[in-house]
Amino acid sequence: METVIYNFLPIWAVMFPVFMSVIIFITGNRSEKLRNGLSVATAVVTFLSVAAMYPVIISGEIIVFTLFDILPGLGITVRVDILSFCLAAISSFVWMLVSVYSIDYMSHEHGGNRYFPIFIFTLGSTLGIFMAGDFFTLFIFFELMSLISYVLVIHEETREALRAGYKYLIMTIIGGLALFFAIILTFELAGTVSLNEGTLITVPSTLAFLAFLTFLIGFGMKAGMFPLHVWLPDAHPVAPSPASALLSGIMLKTGAYGLLRVIFHVFNVSVIKEARWDLILGVIAVITILLGSAVAITQFDLKRRLAYSSIGQMGYIILGMALLNEKALVGDVFHIFSHAIMKSTLFLAAGAIIWKTGLRNINDLHGIGKKMPVTMGAFTLAALAMIGIPPLNGFLSKWTLSLGALDAGAPYYVVVLLVSSLLNGLYYLPIIIAAFFGGEEHDEEAKIKVNEASYRMIIPVAILGIGCLAFGLMPNNIAFELSLKAASFLFGRVIP
Amino acid sequence: MSLHLPVLLIVLLLGASYGVPLLDRYRKNLAFPLTITSLAAVFVFSLYLIFLVGRKGPFFYHLGGWPPPWGIELYVDFLAVYMLMVLSTIGLLVMIYGATDLYHELKEEVLSWYYTLYLLLIGSMIGIALTNDLFNMFVFIEISTIASCGIISIKADRRCLEASIKYLILSALGSGCILLAVAMIYMITGNLNFDYIAAELPGALALYPYNILIALSLFIVGFGVKSALFPLHVWLPDAHSSAPSPSSAVLSGLVIKIYAIALVKLLWRVFPPQIYAAVPVLDIILFLSVLAVLVGSIFAMVQDDIKRMLAYSSIAQIGYVFMGIGLFGSRALSGGLLHIFNHAMMKSMLFMAAGLIIYATGIRNIRDLKGIGVRMPWTMGAFTVGAFSMVGIPGTSGFISKWYLALGALDLGRPFYVAVILLSSLLNGIYYFPIVIDAFFGTKVEPRSEHRDVPALMLVPVLILAAGVIFFGFFPGPLLNLIEKALAF
Repeated sequence: METVIYNFLPIWAVMFPVFMSVIIFITGNRSEKLRNGLSVATAVVTFLSVAAMYPVIISGEIIVFTLFDILPGLGITVRVDILSFCLAAISSFVWMLVSVYSIDYMSHEHGGNRYFPIFIFTLGSTLGIFMAGDFFTLFIFFELMSLISYVLVIHEETREALRAGYKYLIMTIIGGLALFFAIILTFELAGTVSLNEGTLITVPSTLAFLAFLTFLIGFGMKAGMFPLHVWLPDAHPVAPSPASALLSGIMLKTGAYGLLRVIFHVFNVSVIKEARWDLILGVIAVITILLGSAVAITQFDLKRRLAYSSIGQMGYIILGMALLNEKALVGDVFHIFSHAIMKSTLFLAAGAIIWKTGLRNINDLHGIGKKMPVTMGAFTLAALAMIGIPPLNGFLSKWTLSLGALDAGAPYYVVVLLVSSLLNGLYYLPIIIAAFFGGEEHDEEAKIKVNEASYRMIIPVAILGIGCLAFGLMPNNIAFELSLKAASFLFGRVIP
Repeated sequence: MSLHLPVLLIVLLLGASYGVPLLDRYRKNLAFPLTITSLAAVFVFSLYLIFLVGRKGPFFYHLGGWPPPWGIELYVDFLAVYMLMVLSTIGLLVMIYGATDLYHELKEEVLSWYYTLYLLLIGSMIGIALTNDLFNMFVFIEISTIASCGIISIKADRRCLEASIKYLILSALGSGCILLAVAMIYMITGNLNFDYIAAELPGALALYPYNILIALSLFIVGFGVKSALFPLHVWLPDAHSSAPSPSSAVLSGLVIKIYAIALVKLLWRVFPPQIYAAVPVLDIILFLSVLAVLVGSIFAMVQDDIKRMLAYSSIAQIGYVFMGIGLFGSRALSGGLLHIFNHAMMKSMLFMAAGLIIYATGIRNIRDLKGIGVRMPWTMGAFTVGAFSMVGIPGTSGFISKWYLALGALDLGRPFYVAVILLSSLLNGIYYFPIVIDAFFGTKVEPRSEHRDVPALMLVPVLILAAGVIFFGFFPGPLLNLIEKALAF
């Protein structure tokens, strides 16, 4: 099964955007149109080259090879397995749609010449994280992405954006240093940090626990895990909406991806279970879920509410890991898909509203659904999916997660999921109700005109909104299949 | 020719340093070409020496053909050629930068004196790296001390003079300590050659334990003062910040390192290992280095002047080198030695970048640097690379030396020091990143608004070093190879 094959698609998918970002930067000074076109083209080509790996990956093979060595036993390596592919595919897909969306959104903003190269560069470094063959390479790309996306966070360059950005940066450095510590401990204990070696640490010693803890801090920071989430609700709302969609929808997942790799590659299920570290994950997950959802209710800035909701949703993903069984893991990976789609829909829809009307406060959004039916329609679909209403993808992931919780003999987690769904309902439903049924009564029907954002913005939002429905309606969809395969792959790995 | 190459390097530089004032009298416009030619020649010769040593292994050179107990001996080993490479590369690049900057910073009549001092300084540092003789080393140390004092005070304004007097007094103290230690060692062993002393000392340890111990502690204090190890660092911030930018770059980048190397040579090659088991010398160095790393960064945070901030950051960074020395494992020491090169690149680049900003705009205060990145994108780009490397972002050379230091600490079962390294990285981030952020974001500045244009000749060395920082972040292999051989004597 695990064969070493030289397939240069992963390198191409990572390096092409990085290279193109330079060209986009150069052309940006000459022609805005060309710059935008190139950005979209780059995102599309990148998605296609990720998608082109599908036949190889689905046949159960793993792309593994070493590019060059930096230090003895430490080099730039590439490894694409089914889990990497899942993450890379959803990321490049969402990125492609967001790049189309960005064209019109950014035409109203300053600094497009900075935004687009950085936007494309971040795509390359994010894919680099998913396709890294060892923790060292992963770490390089992780830091690269975190630092580069700082520019996206502070794009508006307002006072509060800079303040949020500073918080983000300091937290990123702390997270990066924690990862450094964890990786160097792993290297010291195991002599390698490759993902290809089976379990790296088999004895839960003190140093191993230190490694686990620092991994948890490093990746948990990115994933918005309690109590390291403090940067997230500040940083995500201040970014331009397409960037928020990516920050919340995709970049949070890099933390989750890292944690999955830590649980299944650095350690393994039996080590974690033996050392009872899953309890730590479980407690953190429950707090993260409840805290994210509860605080979201108190927020009245639309994007801020969405950001807090992201924290809650990332809690589900951490919960899926804490349960440590295959069914929960299916739900976990599927929720990564679902949340990527749902949250980018929501942020893009919110962005469209802000772009068109300038309204950010939830109380001002009465009747917005009549003016912008498509945008709010997609928003509604995604919000309902967040709550977990049946034929939507959010339901499917919650359902699978709950089955996993029952399998693990922990029905109280199901209760947590239900409570959180209720909370989600509490903060999403009022927006939807007010949007469609609220509004000033004295207004005449004729006055309310459909006044949508430009089609280049609505189409990506609509596609993503339909995605929420499509991936929930058919339980045998491609995302679910991939999640099943990924989970069985992680559990079925031959452990030497 | 290749036979006499080691001494030729030193003679070339010392000779040129005497030639420059002569030329200044008769052919003024030839003073600078002579300086740069001799530095370039030294650069080429050191590359050749690396090649030679790599091919044939380390070799000795006897000055005037007198064998060791009587004559002076130079020892060209991997450590020496490693330092030669660092010294000649950075020395050349800084002088290329200085070509334009010095015209701006100094009075015309002292210009060629500056070249003299600079050549003396580089020459004496090469001497320290090469020599295998204790007293000869002391002579070179004195030359380099006087020369560095000269290039600090050459601006002759109040701040420079004050700083250089402070430096002179403290480093005279250091020189005194070293001289006393040399005398004691000579008294005990009757030898000045490193190898002869090393052969004598284990036997002498039983007879004169206190004398040897005192000599050792005098060496540590003496070199500690000169390389600004934490409680003895007080002269550094004034000296490095008030000097002209090329001087700061060389002083922070090279001069404080060479004394650390001299100490490494003594500790590793001359003193018997039994002494470290008996007395916690290394633990004391380690303890001081931890303080240096943390306190240097904390002081750097509260500085307003950009060059002063960089100077305090040097105190923290030299702490890493001493941490490598204090841990004394081979991997940790490699990390420390690697950091000598990495920090030489980063810090001289940062000082030159700061000098460029001062040259172009006259701004020294960190708070006034808002928007400077829009005006001077290349300079601040290089500064950003340097800042990343200071924090140890992977892909920069600073990461590699931190990785090695941390791994070395773990090898010896001391994860505490890894935590110290990480904490100090965080502190570095806290004072470097706001500068970078303010430079690029947050203010609307028109590009190229009123300021002097930066000459390409000044920018090129900065960019070469920035490229070097990134290159050695990905390909540190050749350097580590050299260091591993250097530590295998």
